[in-house]
Parts: sequence; structure tokens; C-alpha cells
Amino acid sequence: MTFAVALGLLFFLMRAAPGDPLFRLSADRPISPQEIKVLRARYGLDRPVGEQLGAFVGGLLRGDLGVSIEHGRPVTALLAERLPATMLLGGSVLLLNFTLGLWLGVRQAVRHGRREDRWLTTASLTGYAMPSFWLGLVLAWLVGVEWRLLPAAGMQDPLMDADAGWLARVGDILRHLILPTATMSIVSIAATMRYQRAAMLEVLRLPYIVTARSKGLSERLVTWRHGWRNALFPVITLFGLWLPILVSGSVFVEAVFAWPGLGSLAANAVGSRDYPLLMGASLLVAALVVVAGFLTDVAYALLDPRVRLG
Amino acid sequence: MTASLDILRGAWRNPRGRTGALILLIVALAALVGPVLLPDPLAQPDVLGAGRPPGLGHPFGTDQLSRDVLSRVVTGGRISLAVALLAVTLSVTLGATVGVVSGYWGGVIDAALMRLVDGALAIPRLFILLLVLAVWERVPVLALILLIGATGWFATSRLVRGEVLRLREEGYVRAAEALGARRRRIIFRHLLPNALGPLLVAATLGVGDVILLEAGLSFLGLGIQPPTPSWGGMILDSREVMISAPWTGIFPGLAIVITVLSANLFGDALRDAVDPRSA
Amino acid sequence: MTPWTPRIAIAAVLACAVVTTVGAQANRGRGTSIVIVTGGQATLPIPTLMEGAEASVGNLDVADQLFLRLADLGPKLLTAGDSHFVPALARSWTRRDSVTLAFDLDSRARWHDGTPVTARDVVFTITRAKNPTVAPRLSELLRQIASVTAEGPGRVVFRFVQPYAEQLYDATFHVAPLPSHLLDSISPTEMRRSAYVTRPIGSGAYRWVRNVPGQFVELAAVQSFFLGTPKIGRVILRTAADASARLNLLLSGQADAMDIIPPPPENLRRVAADSTLRLISVPSSTVGYLLFNQRDPKNRARPHPVLADIRVRRAITLGLDRRQLVQAVFGTQAVVPYGPVSQMLWIRHGAPEPEAPNVSEARRLLAATGWGDSDGDGTLDREGRPLRLLLSLPNTSGVRRQMALLVQEQLRRIGIQIEIQQLEFPIWQERRTAGDFDVDFSSVSQDASPSGLTQSWACTGGNNVAGYCDRTVDSLMTEAIVGRGDPAETWIDAVRQIEEGAPAAFIYAPTFAYAVNRRYRAVTISPQSSWITLRKWSVSQDQESHRGK
Repeated sequence: MTFAVALGLLFFLMRAAPGDPLFRLSADRPISPQEIKVLRARYGLDRPVGEQLGAFVGGLLRGDLGVSIEHGRPVTALLAERLPATMLLGGSVLLLNFTLGLWLGVRQAVRHGRREDRWLTTASLTGYAMPSFWLGLVLAWLVGVEWRLLPAAGMQDPLMDADAGWLARVGDILRHLILPTATMSIVSIAATMRYQRAAMLEVLRLPYIVTARSKGLSERLVTWRHGWRNALFPVITLFGLWLPILVSGSVFVEAVFAWPGLGSLAANAVGSRDYPLLMGASLLVAALVVVAGFLTDVAYALLDPRVRLG
Repeated sequence: MTASLDILRGAWRNPRGRTGALILLIVALAALVGPVLLPDPLAQPDVLGAGRPPGLGHPFGTDQLSRDVLSRVVTGGRISLAVALLAVTLSVTLGATVGVVSGYWGGVIDAALMRLVDGALAIPRLFILLLVLAVWERVPVLALILLIGATGWFATSRLVRGEVLRLREEGYVRAAEALGARRRRIIFRHLLPNALGPLLVAATLGVGDVILLEAGLSFLGLGIQPPTPSWGGMILDSREVMISAPWTGIFPGLAIVITVLSANLFGDALRDAVDPRSA
Repeated sequence: MTPWTPRIAIAAVLACAVVTTVGAQANRGRGTSIVIVTGGQATLPIPTLMEGAEASVGNLDVADQLFLRLADLGPKLLTAGDSHFVPALARSWTRRDSVTLAFDLDSRARWHDGTPVTARDVVFTITRAKNPTVAPRLSELLRQIASVTAEGPGRVVFRFVQPYAEQLYDATFHVAPLPSHLLDSISPTEMRRSAYVTRPIGSGAYRWVRNVPGQFVELAAVQSFFLGTPKIGRVILRTAADASARLNLLLSGQADAMDIIPPPPENLRRVAADSTLRLISVPSSTVGYLLFNQRDPKNRARPHPVLADIRVRRAITLGLDRRQLVQAVFGTQAVVPYGPVSQMLWIRHGAPEPEAPNVSEARRLLAATGWGDSDGDGTLDREGRPLRLLLSLPNTSGVRRQMALLVQEQLRRIGIQIEIQQLEFPIWQERRTAGDFDVDFSSVSQDASPSGLTQSWACTGGNNVAGYCDRTVDSLMTEAIVGRGDPAETWIDAVRQIEEGAPAAFIYAPTFAYAVNRRYRAVTISPQSSWITLRKWSVSQDQESHRGK
């Protein structure tokens, strides 16, 4: 219900905001009044806003999100084309977060006070202190252009042969994936490490853990069997919070690294006031956030048998 | 008072904390004194010979309008630190006030305030700021400070409230109440000084967060407006020339990393001193 | 943690390294190919469909490769007269009378599916293009064409509404013919969603291979192209919206050519320092200027309190050292224009030199209009009000942003206080159209035909947002467009009249710097359509060692 209200608000907000799609066009080249009239009719801009909303909702129920003004193609097709790239990038960042971030955080807690812990703390604080937008620019320049170790931008090598094997293709995409993922994950991994370390330390102090230890159970057993499940909760909460940040962060990273995802699509759409595309993209993001929230709840339930779904 | 001194001493003993504190002091000193000693950051003396790499006369090089990067980094530092310190002071004051009021008076006031805090905590701070700043063009620095400060007190208030609730049950507080001491005296004499530890931690870590936040906003063009230099704004300007004049972007970024890192190191050390269990 | 964990981690990292290097080495068939990096994506590069937002550079560039015109513009880009055009689909043309042109098609011309190009295709396309609901933009541009008829399969006859200089231009330039045998059964509205759009068939030197969304478009050379098989077999147009990302792609070797190295001049020096790349200067169709609002922004019926006076406007122009502005931001890559004439417009040959700055004259003019510094604060004032003007510009243009700061400084020295207002693009657009500005930093991209000048400088021009109106200019421009005499002289007179009216301070007419890898030979770039001569380029021999295509 709130979903629908939010979308309705967004619809009106977009049209209320100054500038409309045709203004942007008239900056690039002179447009005659006749052309403006035809285009307004074509994009449905000459009808009252309520009617436009009705048309949009009607289309939505049929699964048709309209045609993008900027690209001239159906919005659903555009979103479907660009979604995989964003998922790949976001997925890699989350994967790194949940493996590397978790692992290092737990490791720090278990070895706390010792040299490894202190080094990792400094490392994570350094990572946390980096503005991700700066990091992206520096990485693209240094690693991509100066050192030529990895591709400076793009997702695929266009010169790859049509009959190249799947392994080569995967490798190609992985090479292109490294820098954008690094840009987004260094900061988030640092944050995850800090939270996980703190959470794990709390858990390790819990009476039943101390008891288990004193009973002589191996440290490894204690840590992995008993400890980490409980410590996972705050990190899962983090996951719920990270999603909007990932989405907004990806806009910048997709621009700098020319990554063909939703972020760059949406960002351009804002500038050109491409209403159908903006609505479609917002819908998609909202849906993803809802799904993420749902997954978070599921994860909680799985981890803690005491929490029942719904 | 002695409690806070103990905490500071504890943080100082920690080698990482000491490093952080020292670097912060150097940064603060540079920000205070630097702009007096260095050339004018807004001056464009030699427009036709702009974009020089670091060298004699310009240790950090010049940008595409021939402005000296070092002076801009230092002046930007002054502004960023000022914004951070003022905003954090505001946040901490607001948070402490609300926390004390909520914890000590309890009842309906407490319930209402905590509902507000919970709701505010659910919305990411960046979103609120982006929303407000996108509508408000060319926000003056003071308004920026107020905005950032006003959105950063929620967690602190929770913290202080917890401390107040805990301390209220302490013996000496009960005794003071029984003796009929005025509320104000109890608050300022007994409650606040003991809550000072966590407040200090929150403040120090907050400085780091605000510097990153302000840099991000300036990078988006929504924070400090040109021609006033700011670290985020310098990185924004460097985007077009990263490939040919990387020093214009690298140095402001390094300044951010060093400052935020040292604030966090010191803040972490403070937290360990306040609550040794989390060390 | 056991000792195994670090080993597992190291193994994982090594595995990733192996996979990625395998990906890098395998199957890189460079052959005779070229990767061009551009800012726009080609989503609909089809004549008559490039309307509204789809009339973008990305689409137009690809359409120019896929579809051949009847005749192309000559190297000087002259649009007036019949003789300066280069035959393409039409082998030759004859003028039958002052309103009739007949084109003879080259019998060797073929569509990519092998079918010959006929007069019927031309008639079909022009008919579609003149339909205002299908193609509002094109129908406006083609309004002077009264009719198009086919005389047999190889001859097309155009009749025009009246005699004027640019008849051949209008007949050939605006739209390239479409294959009627594939399209006449599809209605114009269905065409956008038809299968043809996903795999267009044209008559050009390159044919469509594939489009990877958001990334690149791939084209392949047509082997039996009747004007000569292109030597570059594979053309990839790679998209990156961000200018710095494009530059990174070029300098890291991932791209071979790039249009428009973005200012500032540091970037140019960096590209010039790369020995594998050659810089090519291409006149740009852009001209940038400070437009003075002659009407009161708060009430368009009243004149502007400061800028309605021509002396103030001239003072500002004389007070600016425009050469220094241009050099600071563009280096050697721009000139100060005389009037609103970009480096691409053919009428600039023969235009006089722009005026040199004259600060003392500027001060004198300002004093003469009553502006003096009564309170000694450095800013001029009159009747207690300071001389303060708002300079509006969009936040998308780094060039204008930089220049605005320099302009602010320069005008401060003659006592004018400039406040810079950077706005989000649509907001800037809206304010500009509504006349809500003092000084607007405008940048216009011009057509090859000078008749585009009427948009901004005719009294009723659609882009004339500052209230500038000079009847002499209007009549001179009309004379140049439809008159019988030599249009060049008349255009120069019109431009001179505009300069003297000082509606704007014309600041920069850039040259774009393109970069192309040195292994490509016979490289020319047309200012009007960057890559249109690709089919004539060649690749040096030692690069053909990999699998050719």
C-alpha cells in the first residue's frame, strides 16, 4: 500500500520538478513549435497529469512500462538489458563483503589484542576513511591507464571473437569487474569488519561460550559452531541498510568505469527527464529493496529458530 | 572531570591512539596557520601556464586555473574541519540534551522522544541531506553546518539516555536526590560528567563521519560552493583532468583519508579507554 | 583457524588470476578493425525515425555508416549552390529549371541484402519524411520540397516550392533513402517496433552486426560496396557516457579513436604525449557566448534595467579579454569568433577579425551611462544600486564553469560584480526559455546551413530568448536564404550587423581535437559528421598480422 502511495508521489514529483523532456532536447538543437506539438502528443505530455498517471498504472498492470523518451525503446526491455550488469557488480560486492568481511572480522575478534588484530584494525580504518568516489578515480587512472594492469572501463572487450569459448568470456568480464568492485567494496568491507569484530567480541564473552571453552572444546569448534551465528545478526541488518547505498554508489561507479548497469541508465534519465524510464527504474529499485528486506527476514528466521516468519 | 582526563590519558597510552591524536593536531595546526603562510587559494596568477605538476614553488602543483593546490588543500581543510567540529558539537549537544531529558524525566516525554529517534534512525542520513540540498540551491556554509548537525544526534541521544538510566540507579545519585538536591545540580554535577566518556567517543568518530559526508556532498555539488575550496569540491574539479593532472585530485583525497583515519584511530583508542571490554 | 585457511585464500586468489589472464589473452582478433569511443549510444540509427531525443549524435553517426545519401557535402561544407557536393547514391544531377532538380542514381548501388537501390526508394523515404506526424523534425526541414517523382528506376526528380540557393542541400542532406521493398508494407507507427529496427538494412559502406546494450555497436564492411570496399573490416562504436571514462579508454589502449578530447588543455597535452596517437583538429559547430537579456527578467514587457542600454553591453564586450579567456580554457583549440559563427560554418571565410579588448573605452562607456564608483568599494553603482549581474550557466559544462570564474575576475576589474549561478541543466533551460536571467552563458551547436542563425537572431526566432530584435538583420538573413544573389556576402553583412548590435559577447568557437591511433592512414574527419569518411581510411600493413576479417 505504501508502495503505491510512494510511486504516486514520485510520479507527481517528477512532473512538478522544473524542466521536462522537451526542454532538454531544445538545448541540443533548435526545435520548431510544430515538432514540439507532435512530440508532446507522442510522449503523452499534453494530457492532464491525472490522465497520465492513469495511463501509466493501466500499462503497469498489463506489464507495459511505456517507451523511453531518450532511447525510443520499451522501458521493460531497457531495464532487462541493464539489470544483469548491476546485479553482477552488486552481487560481487556483497559476496566479498560476506566472505572476506565476515571472515576477517571474526578472525580479528578471535585473535583480539594480538598483532594481527591491530594490523587489520588499522587496515580497516584506512579503508573506511577513503571516499569511494576518490578511490574510484584514482584506481581507474593508476591501475587502468598508468599501469595498464586491468581495463580502465567497460564490461567486455568488443574485439573478442564471436566464437570465443565461455571461459574466455567469463575471464574477460572478471577482468573488467575487478576495479569497479574494489572501489565499492573496500569501504564496505572495512565497515563490515568493524561491526563483525565488535559483534563477535560480544558473543565471545557470552557465558555459554566461555563455558564451552573452559570445557576444553577446540577454539575452532567454539568459534564456528556457536559463535558466528549469533554474531551474524548485526551484519544482516547491515545488509538491509547497505542496499540503498549500493544502489546510489553504483551510479557513480558505473559512470567512472562505464559499467553498463541500471545506475548509469537512471542517472542519464534524470538529466533528460525521461519520465517513463525513471518511473520504471524507481519501481525496479523499490521492488529490489522490498525483496532485500524480505530476504533479510528469511535470513533471521533461518539463523534463529526462535524467530518465526510473520 | 577527572574521569575524562583518565580516558584521554588511556587513549594516549595506546600507540594507535597516540598516532591518531598527533596527526590530528598537525592537521589542525596546518589548517589554522597554513592559510596565513601560503598564497591565496583563490588567486589565478598565471592562467596561461596552469596545470603544473608538483615542483618548486608549488609543492602540490597547480590546478587548471593555476591555483596552488597546497593552499587549496590547507584552506579546504580549515573549512572542512570547521564544518565538522561545529556540526559535531551541535549533534553532541542536541544528543546529550535529548538523552538527559529523556532518561531523567522518563514517562511520556521519553516515549515520544524515543519514537522520534527510532523513526529518524530508520532513514539514511545521506538521503535526508540530499533531499534538502537538492531543493535548496547554493546553501550557505552555516546552513550546511546546521543541517549536518541536526541530522546526526539521534544515536548519541540513545547512548546518553542509556547512560543516564544506568547512572540514575547509582548510589551517589540516589543519595543526592534523597538529600533534596536540585535536578539541575544532579544533572550537571553527577550525570553528565560520567556520560562524558561515550560523548567524547561519539564526537571524535563523528568528526570523521562528517568530513566524509561533507566531502561527498561537495563532490555532488551540493555542499560547499565554489570558489570556496573544499576537499570534496577539489576532487569534483579534478575529475576532468584526472588523467593529465592527477595531483589536483590525489592530494585532497589523501588529506581526507589521513584526517578521517587519525580521527578514527583516536576515537577507537578513546572507546577502548572508556570501555576496556571492547578493546 | 587452521593453517589451511590462508592456503585456501591464496589458492582462490591464484585461481582468479589465472582465469582473468586467460580471458585477456584468448581470441583477440584485432585484424583490420577500429574501436571508436563515443559519448552517445546508437539505439535507433534509422532515417525518419531519428526524431525528438533520437536525433542524437550517436544515432546520426551510425546512420551515416549504414545509409548512404544521394550526395554528400564537399570538404568545404558549402551548402549553397549545386556544384560543391560529392556524388554518392546519385551519380550525377542536372538542373532543369529554377525549381526542378533531377538526380541520376548510380546503377551499382545495392542494399545490404543485394537488392538494387531504385528511385522508388527515394520517393518512399521523402514521402515518409514529409509526414509531420511521423517525422515532425524532418517534415519541417523538407518543407521547401513540393514533390518527388520517379522517372524510371534510375532517376528521381525534385520540385521545390520556390527558387533558393540551398535546394540541392535540402534534397540530399537531411535524410538518406530507406529500402522501400522492405518497409512499404510496414506502417510508420509500426516501424519503431518492427524487426527491421533491430537489424537495419541500408545502402552504406558498413552493415549492422550487433548491438550490445549500453556498451557498443558493431558494424562490418560491405565487401562489394560500389564506391570501393572499405579497408577497415570491423568498426566498433563503444559507448561511455562520462568524458573521463572515454579518455581513460583511449589512453589505456582499449580504444583506437575518440571524438572531442575534452578540455582543459592539460588533457590535450597528455594525449599528444602518447606516441601511438595522432591529434587531428576538426572545426567544431559550437559557438559559446554570453547572452545579454535585453528585457527585465521579472517583467518581459519592460526593458532590462541595466542591459537594455547598448553602451553597457558594448562595455562588457570591450572589457573582456576574450583571447585570454579562450587560451586559458582551450589553449590553442579555439578562436574568438566574429559574431555567432562557429568554425564549421562556411560563411566564416571572409568574416572580419573580432574586436580587441579596450578596457579604457569600456570604462568610458560605463561612465557615460551614469555608472560611477561613489562609495569606493570597487564596484560601480548608480542611484545607490550596485552594478551586479547574475551569470547563469548549466552545471554540466566544465568549460563554461571554468570560463565563468575567469569572466567574473575580468569584469571585477572594471567594476562589474558578477554572481555565478550554476544550475541543473533542465532548470537552466527552463529559466533561459522564460527569459529569467541577466546574462546567460549559452552554447549553440550549429547546422551546416547558415539558415540556422535565424533561430537565435531573428526577431521571432525560437531560440531568441533575450529580446533581441533588429529588422535590418532579419531582412538581410531572409535575403541570404531566398535571394538570387551570392549568399556569402549577404550573410557576412548580417553577421556584421549582429556584432554591432552587441546582443552578446561572442567568446569561443572551438576546434575539436580528435585522437586517432597512428596505425590508421588516410584519416580525415568531417566536421559535420565525424566518421563519415571511415570507408576511405586504411590500416598500416604490420597490424594486419592477426586474423583478418
